[in-house]
Amino acid sequence: MRLLACILGLFLATTVHANDVVSAKQLLKNMATAVHTRNFDASFVVLKGKGMEPYRWVHAKYQGKELELLSLLNGAGLEIVRVDDLVTYYEPQSAPYSVKTDSIAGPIPEVLFKGVEALLDHYDFVLGGKGRIAGRPAQLVRVEAKDDTKYNYWLWIDTQSSLLLKAAYVNQQGELLEQLQLTHISVTPEPAEQILELAQREFPAPLPALKLNKDETVQSNWQIGWLPEGFKLLKSDRHKLDLNNELADYYLFSDGLVDISVFVQRPLPGQRPSGALSSGATTVYVHNSGAYDVSVVGNIPAVTAKNIAESVKRPL
Amino acid sequence: MTKENLTTSPQEAASRLLDGDLQLEHSSEGQVDTEKFARYAQIGDVMREAQSGGISIDITASVASALENEPCHSMANEAATLDEQHDNGTKVVKLSAWRKPLSQVAIAASVALVAVLGVNTMPQQNGPAIDEMPVLQSRPLAGGVAPVSFSSEQPALQNAEQGLRDLQQQRIGALVLEHQRQSRVAYALQQKQKAANQQSEEKK
Repeated sequence: MRLLACILGLFLATTVHANDVVSAKQLLKNMATAVHTRNFDASFVVLKGKGMEPYRWVHAKYQGKELELLSLLNGAGLEIVRVDDLVTYYEPQSAPYSVKTDSIAGPIPEVLFKGVEALLDHYDFVLGGKGRIAGRPAQLVRVEAKDDTKYNYWLWIDTQSSLLLKAAYVNQQGELLEQLQLTHISVTPEPAEQILELAQREFPAPLPALKLNKDETVQSNWQIGWLPEGFKLLKSDRHKLDLNNELADYYLFSDGLVDISVFVQRPLPGQRPSGALSSGATTVYVHNSGAYDVSVVGNIPAVTAKNIAESVKRPL
Repeated sequence: MTKENLTTSPQEAASRLLDGDLQLEHSSEGQVDTEKFARYAQIGDVMREAQSGGISIDITASVASALENEPCHSMANEAATLDEQHDNGTKVVKLSAWRKPLSQVAIAASVALVAVLGVNTMPQQNGPAIDEMPVLQSRPLAGGVAPVSFSSEQPALQNAEQGLRDLQQQRIGALVLEHQRQSRVAYALQQKQKAANQQSEEKK
């Protein structure tokens, strides 16, 4: 009898667990659909350590076209406009440019608005508790890293409209490192007048088709000995940085959710200690290895960035 | 003389014996309290530092007799309290047994915390914590290196140091901006890569 109960309990537990995964995944999918189909006008803030960035986020579906606007409201500003699969970045210091892609690379990882299944190899989807966010009932969905070299990402999703209400990078200790919180959202059946103007706007021609640019010579320049589980090389080249014209061997890695940049540069003069800087979830680790400097930038824990930076060696 | 000797008190006899006034013989021996004599002799030896190897006073007999005279205390009560004390004792031992590793963990954790804080704050002293993009963009980027003053060596050194710090800060700003720019195409690249992989698989 006891054995039977045991087996039954185990069976129930596994089915409940499976349901859990499915519904967490389903919630994320519903959110992705909602973000792409609803007409909404929202404001949110991103809290990074001591800093705060307010954004406005407007989306509309109009005459078969998807219009989306994301603008940073503080400082010099930044405006990102998406019309279907053309994303244009307006920045104060450089000429606007367009990229052919179907989602805006903003403070929210794009993958969450598209194919979340891609994350299942390296992340678990877990249902959390319910709460009230921005005046609406919300359900927490946790995207948990399968190992502790990465941060977790938590999302609070509106249980009625399936829209995102809050999101946060959370470290393995459960501390919220960087939070994104909606302060206001209005969902309307008709798109807002203001955004319809975007449909008529002229945009710069998109950048030449993105190549899977993996420069062999650059790749053979350095050996990156260690990367966290699941990170793949997307790009490698040698180019000058925009701001200070320094030459760098550049590598871009991604595991689908977060991106990591690795720069190998000529060392700056003087004895400088290696060290990490972090702002919100973003970590910059500068490793001074004598003959060259390795810098790692990304939304990863400082220890992970340090390990990556220290694993970069000259090939034998 | 002998008569006189006989009448003297045992103390006096002992004293005279020790001083060498009195010959040690059967007659004098009888008059002396042997125990007292032994003690006096010992005292004398100690005072002359002749004694070596510690004082040996035999007190076992007196202790034994004292114990015998000791009234019997209520045994039952005592046994109970003894048991209790014993119990408490084991509890204390148990507590400390699981407290000890816990406290070690706490110490280890605090050390690790200090180490992590150390790593995080050390470079921050060199350059103020970078805020994200807008701050970096609004920071004046031209003329990062201050001109070196010729007036004296100290300010020159300071300026050079400041210049270096600015250079590093500038570089970090450039790195963060570049990372943000590049990660804008990351998702598109990923999609492309996936498509390419699928195509190659189909070809196979």
